[in-house]
Amino acid sequence: MAKEYDADVIIVGSGVCGANVANELAKKGKSVILLEAGPNLPRWKILENFRTSGRHYDRNNAYPNNPWAPTSNKPGYIVNTGEFREQPGLLKLVGGTTWHWGGATWRYIPNDFRIKTLYGVGRDWPIGYDDLEPYYCRAEYALGVAGSDTEDQSGQHPGEAYPRRSQPYPIDTEELIYSNTLLKEALIPHGHSVVHEPTVRIHKPYDGRPACQGNNNCDQVCPIGTLYNGSVSADHAVRNGAKLITEAVVHKITKGEGNKIKSISYLTPSREEHTLTARYFVLAAHSFETAKLMLMNNIGNSSDMVGRNLMDHVGLSLFFLAPQPVWSGRGPVQQETIMTSRDGAFRARYSANKHQLANNNPQIDIARQALEEGLMGKELDERIMDWSARMMNIYSFLEPLPDPANRVQPNPDWKDALGLPGLKVHFTISDYVKQGADRIREEYKNITRLMNGKIVRITDEFENHDHLMGTMIMGTDASDSVVNHEGRSFDHPNLFIASAGVIPAAGVINPTLTAAAMAIRSADIIAREV
Amino acid sequence: MKQRRIALTVLLLLPPAFTAPSLMAQPASIAEAQSEPETDLLAKGAYLARVGDCEACHTVAGHKPYTGGYIFHLPMGDIVSGNITPSVRYGIGSWSEKDFARAIRKGVLPDGRHLYPAMPYTSYALITDEDIHALYVYFRHVTAVDETPSQKSALKFPFNLPGLMTGWNLLNARQHPFTPDPGLDEQQNRGKYLAKGLAHCSTCHTPRTQILGENMNQYLAGTYVQNWHAPNITSDPISGLGRWSNDELAAYLKTGHADGKAQAGGPMAEAVEQSFHYLSNRDIEAIVAYLRTVPPIRVQGQKSPAWAVTEPARAEHWEVIEAGQGKADQSDYRNTTTTEGATLYNTNCASCHGISGEGSKDHIFPSLTQNSAVGSHDPTNLVMAISDGIHRQDIDYRTVMPAFSRDNQAIHNWLTPAQIASVANYVTTRFGKENANLTAAEVTHITSRTENDVPFVVRNAALLTISALLVGLVSLACLIRWIVRHSRSP
Repeated sequence: MAKEYDADVIIVGSGVCGANVANELAKKGKSVILLEAGPNLPRWKILENFRTSGRHYDRNNAYPNNPWAPTSNKPGYIVNTGEFREQPGLLKLVGGTTWHWGGATWRYIPNDFRIKTLYGVGRDWPIGYDDLEPYYCRAEYALGVAGSDTEDQSGQHPGEAYPRRSQPYPIDTEELIYSNTLLKEALIPHGHSVVHEPTVRIHKPYDGRPACQGNNNCDQVCPIGTLYNGSVSADHAVRNGAKLITEAVVHKITKGEGNKIKSISYLTPSREEHTLTARYFVLAAHSFETAKLMLMNNIGNSSDMVGRNLMDHVGLSLFFLAPQPVWSGRGPVQQETIMTSRDGAFRARYSANKHQLANNNPQIDIARQALEEGLMGKELDERIMDWSARMMNIYSFLEPLPDPANRVQPNPDWKDALGLPGLKVHFTISDYVKQGADRIREEYKNITRLMNGKIVRITDEFENHDHLMGTMIMGTDASDSVVNHEGRSFDHPNLFIASAGVIPAAGVINPTLTAAAMAIRSADIIAREV
Repeated sequence: MKQRRIALTVLLLLPPAFTAPSLMAQPASIAEAQSEPETDLLAKGAYLARVGDCEACHTVAGHKPYTGGYIFHLPMGDIVSGNITPSVRYGIGSWSEKDFARAIRKGVLPDGRHLYPAMPYTSYALITDEDIHALYVYFRHVTAVDETPSQKSALKFPFNLPGLMTGWNLLNARQHPFTPDPGLDEQQNRGKYLAKGLAHCSTCHTPRTQILGENMNQYLAGTYVQNWHAPNITSDPISGLGRWSNDELAAYLKTGHADGKAQAGGPMAEAVEQSFHYLSNRDIEAIVAYLRTVPPIRVQGQKSPAWAVTEPARAEHWEVIEAGQGKADQSDYRNTTTTEGATLYNTNCASCHGISGEGSKDHIFPSLTQNSAVGSHDPTNLVMAISDGIHRQDIDYRTVMPAFSRDNQAIHNWLTPAQIASVANYVTTRFGKENANLTAAEVTHITSRTENDVPFVVRNAALLTISALLVGLVSLACLIRWIVRHSRSP
């Protein structure tokens, strides 16, 4: 019998979402092809690139930026037309952009799923927390998350383990670093919620990954492979039988009978075109590139919502000097989180927030500021020594609401080496977020006072945090949503989207775990049908 | 040698009824296991089962303890461990203490079938009646599980011939229940009893003969096991453990880690994790005391211990690498073909072991100087540590050194055999004895040694058996002819 399809399922993109879909389906014996636009590199090569780059603050610079698969560092590839410059650290290689991240793997709380019902703003999820809870567990075990089983992560249920969990975290929490103990001691007695951040930067070995030894380099590349990234799951998928094809830039999607997707085509770096067929297709190529691919091919866009409702956790940051040495930059890049304003009735009027104590090495910023102030010689040395010991940094996320005017589109005015368009992004920050920012500024003053610290700087401009959501928005209504609660396209029954881009209500927490949980849930649904 | 080989093969041909008297299983009597307070006996039995590391081979990860199913892939075929829970149907529930003792010490089942020496009965033969009793009581009390391993032992010809093991046992299973050695003190005798018996050190650390028996002339002189090198643990100060302190030896057995000496990987990591880790300090000290009395065996030509390189060497080329020329859109950024040892060391190893191989001050990341794997003339364990990684659950912390071979890696980081050779050469040159001349082919040989290094006799057993059979038949024909002729003579 002639082979009807090239695979049961073809997945576009080998990041955390695509790789987890691939692994779940391969485990169940489905034939899977996993396509990746970028190359497949061993960690040591990325580490070598990082060390040779000399631009250590540029977290993208260790990664290949190939003319046929550009990263967001490629000039012209992303053009912003709105008031805010949305410039994420997008990578293209096996494992995706999680090659550099803080490793935060939070769950949404039940109220995050019902923000419209409860507070009259934004959109509700088409499913609730309880629907996703089992998949959160599976995602936590797939990624290897260390977290607390006893704390309240909502800020609203003091003394209670919240949200409800059906399984413990696969790894417990690590000891606190000194600055984090100070934060807890100072803030908790005054009604603040300060809790462990669940993280894939693990302090005990898991799944062959070693324990963290505090290189403090998560934002660029983990030199020892403690920090999970999508390549871990991509490797599992390949060992479970998935076929990985790298440097395969998908550019064409063809529809067939019954509005089903029939085939996809990709280009190699030398512009050879290959076409593949499958029963089901999963697009997992990042919130920007997935939307671009769909719009280029007029796929799944009957609602006109593809690429729209772009959300990011824009935020502010605080730099202050503690009265005593705290030595930021030793150990993990982040650990404790202030969840005091994660939820509450105020969400009807302005944005919630999450404050993260950052523990990155502050010396370059300190030196830069001192030089700008004109310090030289002994004064400069003393400033650097003193401030390096005492500097603390908190950065915060604000909750955006979906607005169709915030969008990403193909940019025909710029083309990559294969002749494919770049990205045009339009993003403005709403009053809802701006009012939330005013509250953050007040909280910063309060936190600094409780720490007996001295404010050095509160950022004026909003910062982007690479949490790109909403561009393939999920909902109950085909007229205003791209996918249903399964992650399935309303227009094409055999097309699924696995991406943080399906998230319809952003909350204030890093969305990766939710995207992975949704991806695993979609994989289960696909497995039942192919 | 040839004669012995033929003797063995002739033994193989004897009919089973002659060699394996079949005994009916006696109904087990719990009553005979009641003389001591039962809880003490149970605890003692459980402890002895730990010393013997029974669970390691009789349990498959994710299954209930002692239900068997662990597969030994041996040159002779696959051997599958049995269910040793007290299940009457599938386990050892119907065995009497006598049956139990015979299986453990002699490798013979109640129905007369022979076990294969993947079960270390040649060592367990030393177990005293008293300890057999405690083990028996313990195994009567573990949870009975009514299931049988899905796979069955499947030996290749001629190893599946009946009677083979009786012959083998005659040559190789010659130990008896332990009697104290009057030349040793009480502690040394306790150590000897444990090390030679239940802890079965010799199973892995003594080289094997052509027919895979332990070569007692080379007792504990070191050999290869599951691709790793089980080192010389005799008392020799250069090739063995003679210059390790008591504390170092005890720490190694308890945690798999002796600062400035060695770290356990591969099968020894499992032995530490599942067995030695649970031993009382007294028994650990006894084993150490006994190892001191094991006659020294020197590797010819070895001048200093493997761990004795003390001078840390600064990594070369570091500054050259730092200068860098990489540009993200150039092919350099994805070219992974280098076999330059310094580059590979600095990007794969230095983050934990330091650019000068110094390790961490708390020794959680071991130094590469003063390290037996690096300083050894035999690169096996260095290659295996790089290729397979180190996985050990210690007392204080879990140890994972990630694997770097393409098949075993778990952190999206891999080296080709040629790259493993060059990084190993770099490490031995900088931090070891400058005996670096490994090739990619040798790395491949080491990581697949179990398939390659099979004794001649075992490898060619089928052919030898058929030859011996023919020789036997021809001899028999000659003999008959001779007898017939002579009987006819007047």
